[in-house]
Amino acid sequence: MSAIEFDGLSKFYGDVCGVADLTLTVEAGEVFGFLGPNGAGKTTAIRTMLGFMQPTDGTARVLDNDVRVESELLAAKERLGYLPGDPAFDDDVTGRRFLDLQASLKGDSRRGELLELFDPPLDRPIGDYSRGNRQMLGLVQTFMHDPDVVVMDEPTSGLDPLKQATFNDFLAEETERGTTVFFSSHVLSEVRTVCDRVGIIRDGRLTELADVEDLLGRSGRIVTVTLAEDVDAAEFDFAGVHDLSVDGPVRFVFTGEYDRLIDRLGEFTVLDLEIEEAPLEDVFMRFYEGDATDETPGQEANGGDVNA
Amino acid sequence: MLEITRYELERRARGTVVLSVLLSLLAVFTVAFFPSVQQSSEALEQYIENLPPAFRSAFGIESFATVEGFLATEFYQFGWVILLGVYFGYRAGSLVAGDVEDHGIDLWLAAPVSRGRLVVERYLALVPVMVAVNVAAYAVVAVAIVAIGEPVPYRDLATVHVLSVPYFLATAAIGLVVSVLVADESVANRVALGLVFTLFLVESLSLSTDYSEIGAISPTRYYDPTGVLVQGEYDLLGGVILCLAAVALVGLAVALFRRADIS
Repeated sequence: MSAIEFDGLSKFYGDVCGVADLTLTVEAGEVFGFLGPNGAGKTTAIRTMLGFMQPTDGTARVLDNDVRVESELLAAKERLGYLPGDPAFDDDVTGRRFLDLQASLKGDSRRGELLELFDPPLDRPIGDYSRGNRQMLGLVQTFMHDPDVVVMDEPTSGLDPLKQATFNDFLAEETERGTTVFFSSHVLSEVRTVCDRVGIIRDGRLTELADVEDLLGRSGRIVTVTLAEDVDAAEFDFAGVHDLSVDGPVRFVFTGEYDRLIDRLGEFTVLDLEIEEAPLEDVFMRFYEGDATDETPGQEANGGDVNA
Repeated sequence: MLEITRYELERRARGTVVLSVLLSLLAVFTVAFFPSVQQSSEALEQYIENLPPAFRSAFGIESFATVEGFLATEFYQFGWVILLGVYFGYRAGSLVAGDVEDHGIDLWLAAPVSRGRLVVERYLALVPVMVAVNVAAYAVVAVAIVAIGEPVPYRDLATVHVLSVPYFLATAAIGLVVSVLVADESVANRVALGLVFTLFLVESLSLSTDYSEIGAISPTRYYDPTGVLVQGEYDLLGGVILCLAAVALVGLAVALFRRADIS
């Protein structure tokens, strides 16, 4: 059974397109990253999938429940956890009261165990919480009823690095248990760490659907090299070099063969060399920007791997 | 059931106490004024006689010769019909709009709670507030009247308070409809307030025209403290009409909210 299924989902605001003909299936147990620039339609897609908005056309199904039908939507929500980006709580109540309320609405079989991992100050009013504490409260709320499907918007924003690590470990265990996770993010290191697959949406349309590893493999490395000599841009103009900059240290995205790079660098005095994975931002920007220009290394991706 | 009502009620507890205390103080002051009003009652009666009829009906001014007549005008017509009527409309304006505006509604909608239940339970959370202010004011007014040595019209007084609840239910229901239509809390508050107050004016002013039927659309037509306290007329049918109107308006709010896109 698929956990989440978008079936030709479209949402228009008058003439303005929020999401157009989105078809996408997330299998049970999968960790799916939903990415796109602001205004691309991520939020529209998620909110329509959660039944906050009626689709203009098509539909979405969560655990085989059609979200257009209220009874089915409510059945789906019994088994769904949702963490909005920057969740808005009632600031005048304590965290404990909020969780008690949520428990009365959907259950809290896992509350205790979650509060050992994420420990906001439950007896203080939520209005006094830091961003991180709010996020922890939101996470406890999301998972407390042991949902089968979890939808999260920027789940780790505001968490300190330690809690982020806790969260990533927790999420790994969850997916091990078969929980399906659908999340939107632009913290791409996070996407890289936890996602199996990503979908990229731009202008309301799904432009890419790929395995994360696959995507990274195509994305090249960032090479930053400090040389003793002055360098002319032409000297680094060889196959696999992109976005070259020679002001200060020489810096470029490299998708070619390392031997070739080492040969070329051998002609200079290398003072410092750094080769790092291209930030996913750069990788995704190519998709965001649409028709990849000839020189972008991700161009094959547009033709190859869309397996919607 | 009613978990949402209970939750909202807890959040309102302190505000309800404050509101009850303030209205009780207003009641005490009003009653305390009465003896001195009574002394000059003849001149005041003449003054009332000379007021334009529209003004008199708008403020329910009938007679200042008795404590009931004085309270009807100065406390119930002003404090209950106008102030609290508008207050419940205003408060109901926040019931949905506030959460939609700041996205607090997301965590509610993500839970397995139908939109209809959410709207109705939040509305119901206002009912105990209506009851609380009435109980407090009834007790305080009765004690204050005893304190100035006047006879307490227990039955009329109780009726004025009981019949105010359907009235508040109706004005709150108006606010609720506004609240599901407008996704901005302060706008919803003001529109609801303006609407309830306008309906009050329409009713009052229509009485002195040939088109007094127009006033029938206003909740104030069906709740008349002066009628109860001065003439001893209990408009029970009016109470029923207000209850039915409240039910219809809440139903409308539910229908509208179920169709609404929460973006």
